[in-house]
Amino acid sequence: MKETERSPEAMLPLTPAVFHILLALADSERHGYGIMQEIAARTNGAMRIGPGTLYGSIKRMLADGLIEASDERPDPELDDERRRYYRLTNFGQRVVRAEAQRLEQVVRIAHTKRVLPGSEAIGGA
Amino acid sequence: METFSSERLMIISEHLYRLLLLAYPAEFRRAYCREMIQTFRDCCREALQQRGQWGVLRLWGLVLYDLVTTAFTEHVRTCIAMLKRLFLNTTDTLLTIEGSTALVTQFHLNVAQRSDVGRQRQVNEDRMLSMIPEDPQVMAKKGALFVVADGLGGHSAGDVASEMAVNTVKDAYYADENDEVSASLLQAMKRANSAIYQANQSKNPPPEKNQMMGTTCVAAVLIADTVYVANVGDSRAYIVRGDQVIQLSQDHSMVAEQIRAGLLTPDQARGHPQRNLIYRCFGEKADVEVDLFSEAVQEGDLLVLCTDGLSNLVSDEELQEIVQRFGTQESVYRLVERANEHGGPDNITAIVVRVSLEESKELQTV
Repeated sequence: MKETERSPEAMLPLTPAVFHILLALADSERHGYGIMQEIAARTNGAMRIGPGTLYGSIKRMLADGLIEASDERPDPELDDERRRYYRLTNFGQRVVRAEAQRLEQVVRIAHTKRVLPGSEAIGGA
Repeated sequence: METFSSERLMIISEHLYRLLLLAYPAEFRRAYCREMIQTFRDCCREALQQRGQWGVLRLWGLVLYDLVTTAFTEHVRTCIAMLKRLFLNTTDTLLTIEGSTALVTQFHLNVAQRSDVGRQRQVNEDRMLSMIPEDPQVMAKKGALFVVADGLGGHSAGDVASEMAVNTVKDAYYADENDEVSASLLQAMKRANSAIYQANQSKNPPPEKNQMMGTTCVAAVLIADTVYVANVGDSRAYIVRGDQVIQLSQDHSMVAEQIRAGLLTPDQARGHPQRNLIYRCFGEKADVEVDLFSEAVQEGDLLVLCTDGLSNLVSDEELQEIVQRFGTQESVYRLVERANEHGGPDNITAIVVRVSLEESKELQTV
């Protein structure tokens, strides 16, 4: 099954938008606006992406098999408009984990170089 | 007054955004325009609620910057993709397989597969599998195997049945020492049927007929210069050769029977309300009748396996145009997208294999 033998490491590094979208989908499937809200909430508004960046990234992530579109259904908290939901594929889960591990390594280097305050505390988010 | 002007601001903003979306390439607009407008509207509403009209102005700042940069990026990517198609052959999964018979033949199989839940279903009950043995001896004896199965919607656990089907066919086919391909493939199909049938029967109490899990299954083996196809149900195998689309498998469906009897045309069948009714599948009976077909393969042939979520929505002409025009990876992507554009009422699955047969002059002298 050649198709499934891709290595997650080959996809790294991810762009910030792709990484944040994968993180937003890590615990739940969401529609486009839901992804934006989750990213803004988790980063206290520091990371904001526009609709063009969002759907440009979604298009490429679908083509790379990182995410898949699920059914269209209304969001009970918004209105009765039908929305397309997106979720991680198994490959997407492996890629987001690999990227998080890569960044963890980078943070570890920053700690050993005493770039960060409180350099002993390794592993913060 | 305040709410009236806020509402106006929302409406004007949305109209303006719709116009600005024209800056994106047409293909991108077709795929995401509706969702982008929806998302923009949501953002607008949120900005208005949180910060009033200033919030909307700030949002426009972000959106305009985003639009200019991403529209440019999308155009560049579209151009690059076009150039690639013109000058390069896509090499998704390029495999070289050397036959070991007296006349040594070199195959290049370029394979891509894609499965999508579609636009209306909750669960994807389709399964697919491509197996190209890495051991050249196994490849020479058993060939490459491709399987597509469509778990049946009305039945419970359709995805369990389709998963069992593709895996059992693969395991049974390669485990069988018999090098008679048709017989081996037939056995593997029957084995998959009985595995699913037994899983149904082992439930306590045994389920009613319409509660049993079931699945269609189409399997193709490419070996030497021949493709062998085994089929139960209405998933299909095609060979696309030049401008010809040759359907290798025969559907076991009510509408296919009516076409064979001359009561319906293929086009009428595509939109027929009972097009999903099949009279043969895996899992219902202890034994199943399997249809077998074979066809000599030629240089440049494209083998396509798909579920009815694709064949009911995409015409032979569209299929032929897409697979001939694009590489296999791009083809499966476009086939699935085309079915989704037509409404995507069912799960959609496609495997596309480009076969190149090249007689290797060096090896021939061995």
